[in-house]
Amino acid sequence: MSNTVALPSIARRLSDLLSPGVGANDKPKRKAMDRPRTDEDQKLVARTQSGEAGAFDELVVKYTPRLYGLVYNMTSNHEDTNDLLQDIFAKAYKAISGFRGKSSFYTWIHSIAVNMTLNFLKKRGRRFHLSLDDVDASIQNDKEFIELTATSSPVREADLSELQRRLNEAMMKLSEEHRAVVTMFHIQGMPHAEISKILRVSEGTVRSRLFYANRQLQNYLDEFRKNPVS
Amino acid sequence: MDEFDDKEIATLLRLKRHEQPPPGYFDNFLHEFHRRQRDELLRQPLWRIGLQRAQDFMFRLNVPALTSYPAMVTAVLVFAAIISLKVYQAPEPVRLSAQAGPAFAAPLNPGSELTLASPVATRVFTAQPLRNFDERARTHRAAPPRYVLDSVPVSYESTFRF
Repeated sequence: MSNTVALPSIARRLSDLLSPGVGANDKPKRKAMDRPRTDEDQKLVARTQSGEAGAFDELVVKYTPRLYGLVYNMTSNHEDTNDLLQDIFAKAYKAISGFRGKSSFYTWIHSIAVNMTLNFLKKRGRRFHLSLDDVDASIQNDKEFIELTATSSPVREADLSELQRRLNEAMMKLSEEHRAVVTMFHIQGMPHAEISKILRVSEGTVRSRLFYANRQLQNYLDEFRKNPVS
Repeated sequence: MDEFDDKEIATLLRLKRHEQPPPGYFDNFLHEFHRRQRDELLRQPLWRIGLQRAQDFMFRLNVPALTSYPAMVTAVLVFAAIISLKVYQAPEPVRLSAQAGPAFAAPLNPGSELTLASPVATRVFTAQPLRNFDERARTHRAAPPRYVLDSVPVSYESTFRF
């Protein structure tokens, strides 16, 4: 692995260290899922920029599960997700020398992931097949799942794999942009402000896309509600 | 039957978090990442690998600013060289046109050149210069000036006598 990294200036390094990081002032309305600490990321980024490739490995290990979830829920295909994730980290490593710390590493790497996935989905078009991961056994102990099976008859009547297939099919009927917003908000638990920074759109646009996507999902899942076992 | 409301949709979507890749996938991901990076590096042509190594070397020398503006640095060096040549170049001594060369000159004795066969006065191009400068005269000019009173001052003149 090459070490094509630039040494940042002292001033830039200082501003990186002193900046509070994106999202630090956000109100904790939503608890983001396992949001990594930005100051640790900045140290790892600085070490990577100074030529320490091992520091980037730490970032890869740290962000792989999160980015896997993001890409997987946008593609609904494990093999595509794996290839994309490799490309995302390769691109991030090549570009990290130009990372100035204007946003947090968290936002930066998510922007790369979303943009690369959207480009991939546009090229792939409608030619795809679902390649779904297994549902973790821990879902049986999930409080929300237990409540849902208790209150919602379609969920109770359908088996788990059928529920998973229907959900993924409904997701894939959304446009790529709407799917990205739904994935980040509902599945990954990101706040609107963070999503707007990653997608570089206004928060109003994020809310509007979410509202529209929810209506679409309601329509797509309506058949599942009427006929839970197909 | 009621349709799914927003809360139920959100709850259903959150269940997708339980879709997980095969066990050990995340543990092997970094190893796979390194392997792909090595493969990609080996696929590159030799000149690109050399260029990358040179860039690495430059960055380790902490001169990224210089490497990012090579054209500007070269331009500044060339400009400085030109300026230094202009400034320190010694001025050439002024030469008068004393060299022999083709010059347009009228003959010293034009009358002798006129003939009846040629009613229009013809002029002969000679290789002699218009004026001849005596080298001694030049050295004479270089000598210190000499002031000569060519007449007696008025105060020294004798008064009129009637």
